[in-house]
Amino acid sequence: MKFATFNDSRIGIVIDSAIVDVTEANLGINAVTAQGLLNGIMENFDSLRTKLDEIALSGSRVPVSSVKLGPPVPRPGKIVAMAVNYMENGALKEKPPIHAFLKSRNAIIGPGDTIILPKSEANVFHHEAELGVVIGKEGTNIAVESAFDHVFGYMNFIDVSARGLSGGNFFWNKSWDTFAPIGPYIVTKNEIADPQALPIKLTVNGVLRQELSTSDMAHNVAACIAWISSITTLDPGDIIATGTNHQGLGAIQDDDVIEMEISGLGSLKVNVRDDLKRQWPTEIDSTFADRMAGRA
Amino acid sequence: MKLAFYDDFRLGVVQGNKIVDVSEVVANKSSLKPNDLINHIIENFQLYEDPIKSSAANGDPISITQVKFQSPLPKPGKIVCMAINYLEGGPDSKMPPINGFLKSPNSVAGDDDTVNLPSAKASIFEHEAELGVVIGKTASNVGRSTAYEYVFGYLNVVDISARDLGNPPYDSYFPIKSWSNFAPMGPYLVTKDEISDPQNINVKLWVNNKLNQTFSTSSMAHKIPECIEWISSITTLDPGDVIATGTNHLDLGPLQDSDNVEMEVEGLGRIHFKVIDHLKREWPRETRADKAAREAAGS
Repeated sequence: MKFATFNDSRIGIVIDSAIVDVTEANLGINAVTAQGLLNGIMENFDSLRTKLDEIALSGSRVPVSSVKLGPPVPRPGKIVAMAVNYMENGALKEKPPIHAFLKSRNAIIGPGDTIILPKSEANVFHHEAELGVVIGKEGTNIAVESAFDHVFGYMNFIDVSARGLSGGNFFWNKSWDTFAPIGPYIVTKNEIADPQALPIKLTVNGVLRQELSTSDMAHNVAACIAWISSITTLDPGDIIATGTNHQGLGAIQDDDVIEMEISGLGSLKVNVRDDLKRQWPTEIDSTFADRMAGRA
Repeated sequence: MKLAFYDDFRLGVVQGNKIVDVSEVVANKSSLKPNDLINHIIENFQLYEDPIKSSAANGDPISITQVKFQSPLPKPGKIVCMAINYLEGGPDSKMPPINGFLKSPNSVAGDDDTVNLPSAKASIFEHEAELGVVIGKTASNVGRSTAYEYVFGYLNVVDISARDLGNPPYDSYFPIKSWSNFAPMGPYLVTKDEISDPQNINVKLWVNNKLNQTFSTSSMAHKIPECIEWISSITTLDPGDVIATGTNHLDLGPLQDSDNVEMEVEGLGRIHFKVIDHLKREWPRETRADKAAREAAGS
């Protein structure tokens, strides 16, 4: 099942190229916001599933093209992003130590939205294509073996990153408003047979930049969930961005159109705006790639 | 006004050593979780201020010793902490570059709660006493001259930190700072009208009745309006978000099993918490300054 938000604060189920509104369905969830309703659906998904299936079949469908899709998780409790979590196409000899940072939840934008580059003096702004994991059930100290019990589903996640800001820590590099495009929808976990064997592609203006597979992940989804939840409780509606393979990163700049697709999770398309009209090479940043692969 | 949650997240107003139940004012909001409720009150305070005041005036105050305070902000939208934000070498210190990090909203603890030290191999766990600023309205690209318009109030924040966990040699704030209960906040939330000069108040922290930290917010490097200006230039601040304005690191000290910690920013009440460490690790009971003095004396 695929869940999306649309037309500001509606929640819908996407079926092929149509969407069925479930916002007013009598699901027994007491919520005042779209995120609240979504969290209720996720927490009670097992018991609501039959009903949601019926609504999806019998409810009136409107073409997705006739609505404005929003970010499928409009207001996550938190975004935990894994740092350096790929083997860089096997280039790294050893797994990097497991590591993460928090990204501001206010950075979220949805499909068709625009990444706005800040005027701040970054060296460059990069796209990072990542598998986003949406948490459906609260958990602390979750065991690797039961990690997927806490997963609701998956979505495309672009971890937009500023490089080279002085002081340059994660907050400053990662948390700018609009720096977390997600969507177009959340795909429930049952539709993804193996989250560790998913091809990911990202293009800029139609030209391929990133092409990676989640099989190259250093610490897999279950290991990430276990580690994060040993530190801080995960809640329904939290997002884990599982990291990227840095081979293929490149600059994003004014007027760029970025398209990202993980097999089975749909295509996420966003625009870029830079009022300063700064320019960078329109190609893969091979210096950065070499550094991350330990070749330089 | 001093707004509090107590017992089962009942809304109350603190008056001296008494608290008054004002939950009737939000009786029609029972579907909201505690943090959504306090954020709703903060965001719409002009609608709630008078009803809360009149409810408090008509209620029956009881002693605060009869209640259990919960954190007034049990799960904020975000907690932005300023890093290295005090002039620790006195007024002539070099201004540190402005910097910050995010702390997990799930790290909040309330008054009289217990902080369980994780078994992770930290070199030490330290207390950082900080003035917490609570945002009152949505703030994006706010200039320093209007920053206080976006402040709702203040509260005590202890930013507990696990050092040297063996993380990579770059930004490791997440594993250092975000453990459960590593952000005791409270005991209540004080509206800004009660604090005449937030840049000239004393911050104190005691461990087992020994005063460890004592400093004034006058030695803050980047003042509250600059912090709001800088943070809101990066990420939108929402009502109920917390900015922890940083600490003076000179007198940080260890936290260890069975410690009783108290912290008080002048005018914000006193928050207490207990430390439990199942591993019973021990560190010398000395502050960083004590340690430096001892090492300088060659002992």
